Amino acid sequence: MKRRITYIQRSDAGFDPEQAVVTPKSLTIRNLVAAREDRLTFELNDLSSELRDLLHKSKDVHVRWATEESFDAVPPFASRVSPGLHVLHTPLDADQSSETFCSWLGAAFGRNENEEALDCSQHENTFIESPHRTTDSHAATSLQYHTQLPSLKPFISNIKRAICGPHTTESAQCIAVADSLSTADVVDVDYDGTSNTLVLSGFWANGPTGGWSEEIHKPTQKSDKVEFGLLGAEPGIGADEVKVGGLLAVVGEDKKLKPTMFSFPSRHHVLPQSASYAISFSEPTGLHPTMSITIPRSSLNRPSAPDDTTCSLHTYLTLPSSIFGDQYQLGTSDSLFLQSHNLAGLRAHSGETDLEAPDWAVKGWGSNWLFELATPTDDDLASQSSNWTSTIPLHLRYLHPSDTGYRPVHVPWPVVFWACSSEYEEESIGINPFDRTHLGYDSLFSPRTFFYQLHPQSEHLVEKLDAPVLNLGDGQGFFQTHNIELGTSIVISLGFFWVLWQLARVAWSSGLGANNTAQQVEVHDKKD
Amino acid sequence: MGIFDSAPRVFFVATTLRLVLLVYGSWQDANSAVKYTDIDYMVFTDAARYVSKGQTPYARDTYRYTPLLAWMLLPTAWESSVLWSSLTFAFGKILFALADVLAGWLVVQLLTRCYRFPSERALRYVAAVWLWNPMVANISTRGSSEGLLGVLVAGLLWATLTKRATLAGLILGLAVHFKIYPFIYGVSILWWWDAERDGAAPATNLDVVSRVLRFITPSRVKLTLSALATFIILNFIMYTQYGVPFLQHTFLHHVTRIDHRHNFSPYATLLYLVAAGNTEFHFETLAFLPQLLLVVVALPLVLAKKNLATSMLAQTFAFVTFNKVCTSQYFLWYLILLPFYLPSSELIRKPTLGLTAAALWVIGQALWLQQGYYLEFLGLSSFVPGLFLASLFFFAVNIWILGIIVRDGGESLNTEIQDKTE
Repeated sequence: MKRRITYIQRSDAGFDPEQAVVTPKSLTIRNLVAAREDRLTFELNDLSSELRDLLHKSKDVHVRWATEESFDAVPPFASRVSPGLHVLHTPLDADQSSETFCSWLGAAFGRNENEEALDCSQHENTFIESPHRTTDSHAATSLQYHTQLPSLKPFISNIKRAICGPHTTESAQCIAVADSLSTADVVDVDYDGTSNTLVLSGFWANGPTGGWSEEIHKPTQKSDKVEFGLLGAEPGIGADEVKVGGLLAVVGEDKKLKPTMFSFPSRHHVLPQSASYAISFSEPTGLHPTMSITIPRSSLNRPSAPDDTTCSLHTYLTLPSSIFGDQYQLGTSDSLFLQSHNLAGLRAHSGETDLEAPDWAVKGWGSNWLFELATPTDDDLASQSSNWTSTIPLHLRYLHPSDTGYRPVHVPWPVVFWACSSEYEEESIGINPFDRTHLGYDSLFSPRTFFYQLHPQSEHLVEKLDAPVLNLGDGQGFFQTHNIELGTSIVISLGFFWVLWQLARVAWSSGLGANNTAQQVEVHDKKD
Repeated sequence: MGIFDSAPRVFFVATTLRLVLLVYGSWQDANSAVKYTDIDYMVFTDAARYVSKGQTPYARDTYRYTPLLAWMLLPTAWESSVLWSSLTFAFGKILFALADVLAGWLVVQLLTRCYRFPSERALRYVAAVWLWNPMVANISTRGSSEGLLGVLVAGLLWATLTKRATLAGLILGLAVHFKIYPFIYGVSILWWWDAERDGAAPATNLDVVSRVLRFITPSRVKLTLSALATFIILNFIMYTQYGVPFLQHTFLHHVTRIDHRHNFSPYATLLYLVAAGNTEFHFETLAFLPQLLLVVVALPLVLAKKNLATSMLAQTFAFVTFNKVCTSQYFLWYLILLPFYLPSSELIRKPTLGLTAAALWVIGQALWLQQGYYLEFLGLSSFVPGLFLASLFFFAVNIWILGIIVRDGGESLNTEIQDKTE
C-alpha cells in the first residue's frame, strides 16, 4: 500500500516549523490549518477476495462522492461534482449485466441512517449509459449511476472489513484512515484495470476546529510507502498552470522536510470567491418545476484561460428519475425559446427521458444533462447590475401514493463551470499529480479543456421539492383505496344501467327497426 | 340577404378564418417563445424528418400513429430557403385545415340532400358547430391530426347514406387504421344497411334461416370485405415497412400504456392506484365491458336503424364517457356528428334543457380543470377528493346527456332520405 498525504495551506495561513516534526519513525502534525488530501493506493493482493473478483470483471471503476454541505474548493483540488454518490463502471464484457456490480455497490454503500437502501439492489438496469461526445463513437460504453447519499457511514465500516483486515498496527492505521472519511467533503475510489491498483482518496476543505493534528507512522512493510507534502498553491506562469511550493518528505526515509517548488498545467481551476451561483425552484413548483440558476453579473467575465481557448458557461445536471427534462423541448434550436430561458442549448443528455412513464415504471436511476448557458453581452454586463438567471423547465413523474399526499423529491445542485476548449483536439493536458477526471461532464469536452468552477452559494446543496401524489390519508378519512375502488365501480355501473334503461324504453316503445315510415313519405311529399 | 344564403360565402369565411390562423400561428412561432404550434405537430414533423432520412417514424418518442401520417407530412421535412421552409413546415397544418373544410362541406351536402334541410339551415348549423367553430379551426391550424378524423367520419357517413358500400368500407378501414375507435361505426352501419334500405320490400313472417340469409345483403358483404381488406392491406404494408414498432406504437400501446396521468376519465384515480399496486379488486380489468356492451351492441342495435347519425353520435359519446383515458381532444370526435343530431334534438326544442345540459357540461369541465390546475401548477395534492369527485361528476353529466341523445334517437323519424341522384 502506498499513501500520500497532502496539506494545502492558504497563502495567508501561518506556519511554524514546530507544527510538522519529522522523526526516524514518524511525522507529527500539530494544529495545522489547511485543506487535506489523503490518498491510498492498494495493490489488488491487499484486498479481500470478494472485492478482487469483482474488480477483475471490470475494465475500470470510478466512484465520486461529494458531501451535501458546501465547501471551498482549494487549488489544485478545484474540481466539483454534484452532491451524492456517482459511479462510473466499464464492465470487461460489454454484454455483462451490471447486476453483480450493482448489488456489491448496494452492499458497500449500504443503508444510510434514513434506512433508505440504495435503489441499486432493486433493479438490474438501474445503471444508465454514460453520456459521451458525439464525435468519439469508439469510446467504450461505460455505465453510470448516481444516488443521493448524505452519509458514508456504511461505506466506512465496509472499508474496515474488506480492506483493513485483521488486527495489526497496520490495520489500526487503516481503521483510523477509514474513520476519518466520515468528515471528508469528497471521496474518490478509482480502479483501473491496466494499472491493477485501487486508489481511495478523501479530501477535506477544512480541518477540525483548531487545525489538523496527527501522527503519521512509518510503514512496517518494506514495499509500503508514505509520502507527505505541505504545500501552498498559486497561479502559475502559463494561464493553464498552477504553481505549488512547500515541503515534502517520505515518512521513515527522509530525515527532514525538503523544500520544493514545481508547476504543472491543471485541468481544473478555482475562480475568485465572488464567482458564485445559486439554485432555486420558482414557487409553486407544481408538476412542472423550473430550475433557476442565478449568477451575479459581476462574476460572468471570461476566466483568464489560455488565449487559444474559447470559453463558454455550462451546467451539468444530475437528476433522480422522479424529475426529468423533455429532450425535445430542451434540445430545440429555437432561439426564442432558448433566449427566454437564457440558455445557449442542450449539449448532451443521457439516461431516463421517457416523457410519460410514472416513476415506478422507470428502471434507471435518473438522467444527466449538460447545458451551455447563455451569457449577457458585454454592454449588458456593464450596464446592468441585477443577477443573471438561466432557467431550465423540468417535469415531475407520478410517484407512489402516500399518507400525506406528498413525497419529497431531492434534487442535487448541478455544477456550474466555464469550459475553455482549445481547437487542437488531440493535444492533451500534461501530467498533474493532483489531476481528477471521470466527473461525468469532463469527458463531454475535448481532451484539452480547462474547467473553471463557480462556487455554489448555499450551506446545503440539495433542493427538496414536494411532489403531489394521491393522498391515502394514513388510513383515516373516507377516500381510502377501498372506497375509491368501490365508488368508481358503483358510479360507472349506475351510469351503464341508466343508459341501458333508456335504451330499453326506446326498444320497448318502438322496437329495433326504423320508426314509422308513413311519416317518411310525409316528409317526402312536403318537399315535393 | 344573409350570409347563410350562400354556401360559397360560408366556406369563404371558414377558409379565411383558417388562413388567418395559419398566418398568425407562424407569426407567433417566429416571434414568441410560447408557440402556437401544437407539441403533437412537432412529433409528426420530427417523425416525417426521420422518414425522409429513410428511418422509421417510431424513432421519435411518443409517435403513436400510423406511418401514413408521417408520409403525408413528408413535405414538412424538405430542406429549403427560409421563406419556403415556413411554408413547407405548415404543409401538414394546411392539409388538416383543408380536411376540416372538406368535412364541413360533406356534412352540408348530407344535410341538404339526404336530410332535406334547406341550404340556409344546413349552412347555419354546420357553420355554428364546425366550420366557424374557432376551437375546430384552432385545433387543425395548430397541427393536431384530429381534424383528419372529422373528414373520415363525415366521408364515411356520406358514402353510407349515398349507398356507396365499397367506398364506405374503404373509408372505414382507413379510419380504423388511423385511430382504432371508428370501428364502432362499422357496427351501426352494418345493422342500419338492411335489405329494405337497399330497396327490398319489407318481409314478414320469416323463419330463422331466412332471416339469417336476409341479413346477408350484397351491401353488407361489400362493406365488410372492403373495410377488412383496406385495414389488413394497410397494416400489412406498414408492418412489412416498420415491423413490430409499428404494431407496438399504433395499436398495442393502447393496451399496455402505463402513463395514467390525471385525465377526465372516471377511471383515472382508480388506475393510478392500480398502477402503483395499491388495489385489491381489479374492477378496472372489466372496464371494457360496460363500454363495449353499450357502444358495439346496445346503442347500434336500438338506434342505428332509427337514425344512423344519432346512433353514431351516441356511440362516440358513450365510447369517450366510458373510456379509461379521456382528454379534451376526444371531445372533437363527436363534434362532427352534432349537426345531424342537434336540429331535431330535445336540447334545441327545449332551450331550458339545452342550456342546462351545456351549463352542466361546462361546470363539470370547469370543476375538473380547477382541480387539475391545483395539482399541475400549484402542486397541491388534489387527486382525492378533488379530481376524483370532479371526474365522477363529469361522468354523471355525460351519462345524463347520453340519456337525452338516446331518447332523441329513439323518437327520430327516419329522416335520412335516400338521395334522389342515386
